[in-house]
Order: sequence, then structure tokens, then C-alpha cells
Amino acid sequence: MVKVVEAREGEALDIELDLNLQKKNLELAEANRRLLEKYGIRAIDFMGSVGSGKTSLIERLVGKLKGKYRIGVIGGDLTTTIDMEILSRHGVQVVQVNTGRECHLDANLVARALQSLPLNSLDLIFIENVGNIICPADFPLGAHRRVAVVSVIDSPYIIVKHPLTFQAVDVVALNKVDLAEIVGVNVAKLEEELKKINPKLSIVKTSCKTGLGVDQLIEVLNL
Amino acid sequence: MHEFSAASQLVDLVLAEAEKRKAKRVVEVNLIIGRLSFLNPEQVKFAYEILSKDTLLEGSKLNVQEKPPLVECPKCGYKGGIEVKDDPYFHLGIPLLRCPKCGGEVKIVEGREFIVKSIKIEV
Repeated sequence: MVKVVEAREGEALDIELDLNLQKKNLELAEANRRLLEKYGIRAIDFMGSVGSGKTSLIERLVGKLKGKYRIGVIGGDLTTTIDMEILSRHGVQVVQVNTGRECHLDANLVARALQSLPLNSLDLIFIENVGNIICPADFPLGAHRRVAVVSVIDSPYIIVKHPLTFQAVDVVALNKVDLAEIVGVNVAKLEEELKKINPKLSIVKTSCKTGLGVDQLIEVLNL
Repeated sequence: MHEFSAASQLVDLVLAEAEKRKAKRVVEVNLIIGRLSFLNPEQVKFAYEILSKDTLLEGSKLNVQEKPPLVECPKCGYKGGIEVKDDPYFHLGIPLLRCPKCGGEVKIVEGREFIVKSIKIEV
């Protein structure tokens, strides 16, 4: 017989829980990954501030890759369908996720977006996260690679101010490099800071205006 | 930035555990937040206080233990803390994810936690 000690009325009890609050998102992210793999789809998550050039970069990638892969795009925004309307003009499957208030996409929202895409007829999915360089980093979505898009003209301190983001991604696209000289930004310094914060990173200098670095980004992403 | 949704998840989870154990009220919640996560303990506490109103958690104490980063270097076998670059421009040090011994790439073992370690309830 197991002895049971029951708490008396009004007694305080200490209970060990060890409950991981990120577990739910991580489990859903793993489920997304399994679903993608079942259909043989690769997925790439793009995060970056508003105006960093996520949509433009995805447009460039779609332009180069749509002959090779059947592409779908999931776009996250608080509201509006502006970005996905732009991308739908390229003849790819798009789905918009409006988070309302939430500052990031989570694995649950992506799971729902995946349900509304024709997975049978896709090889590659780009996920454009909510315009935010901070929060999305804490929420893996199940994508195979995570890319941070940084506009080099936004701030000379953009890298050192967001170290945790650059430790959570695999690739950084230093975007708008064609404008760096005009505004006097030292891109080499940004690269140096990135390498120090996370030596594992692949860094690609890009310009969506000239198309610079898009081929290199494709190579880095093994696409 | 997403402390409110994080705290809301925390409150829901603790409430479920407390109800399961037929608690009259929750006295204390002990939380672990890794320093490499994006959660600011002060903001989590602020949101927790608001969200716990009119529930079994109202008035409970939220203790947050911050967990320092622990990394492993697959190249030289280093296991321990990381370097933090201090820069007078910034209030917080910048954690550097390179091996302090050989400068190589490291694997994060600890530092990204958001865990409810234990709770104290009154039954």
C-alpha cells in the first residue's frame, strides 16, 4: 500500500512542476516540420524590421526560382494584405496571416496557414514574418532555415542592439547595400559585429534594387 | 515585447495546475527565464499582476530566476559561460556566441528557458 499524506485545510503546498512554457510552440513547430517533410517541401522563415526589404527580397527570390520550384508564400502582418497582393502578382500561391495585435508569427498560426495552401503542388515555401526584428526570434515556426533581413541604412547600431536575434537565425541578408555609401554606413563593421556575435552565421550583402547578392543568397540557402 | 502573451500563457498554465489540485489560492510561482530569451522579467511581472486579477493567482508572488547562458564548443570541448562585450553605449552587455577559448562556433545548452519551476498553493 502506498502511504498518502494529504494536505490539511489551509496548508500551503510546494509543487515542483518544471513546465516548459515554450514547449507548446516547439511541439507545433516540429509538427509543421514533419508536415512539410511529408510533402517534400522546404520552408524558409524571413524576419526583419518594417521596411527592411523582406517582401522585396522574397520577390527577387521568387523571380529567380519560380521556374525551378513550385513556390508558396505565407505572409504575416498585424493587418492588411498589401505584401501578399504584391507577391501574388508573381504567380505564386500566397496566404496572408493577420495577427491583429501579436508582434510575431507563431507555429500555431503557421500550421493554420499551411492548411490553406495546396501542399501537394508545392516544393518551396517562404514565410514572411511580422515586421519586427525582435520577437519572431523566440518563436521557431518549423522552417528549415531562418533568415534575418537587415536594412544597413537603418542604424549603425542595428547589429549590436539585437544580438539575440542574430543568434537565433542561420543567415543574415545585409540589404540595401547600394545605399550604404550614400549614407556613410560601414558595412564591413556590421559584418564584423555579426561574426563576433554568432560565428555560425552566413552573411550575404544584398540589394533588391540592383539584384546584387540574390544569387549568393540562393546558394547559401541551398536552393 | 511579447511579455504580455508570455505572461498570459503562464497564468493559464498555473491556473490549470492549481485547479487540478483543488487549490484555494496560489501563493507563489517560481519562474526561470534564460538570459538569451527575449523576455524581460520586469515586464513579465507587470503583465502577470494584471492578468492574475480576479483569479486564484491574485496577490501571488512571482519569483523570477534568470539563467545565465551555458554553451558547448564541439571543436575544443569548452563548456561554460560566454563572453559578454561591454560597451559604454549600451546598458546591457552584448552576449557573444563564440567559444571564449578557441573562438569557434558554439552550441547553446542553457539560456533560452521559459520554465515554471514550481508553485506554492494553499489547499
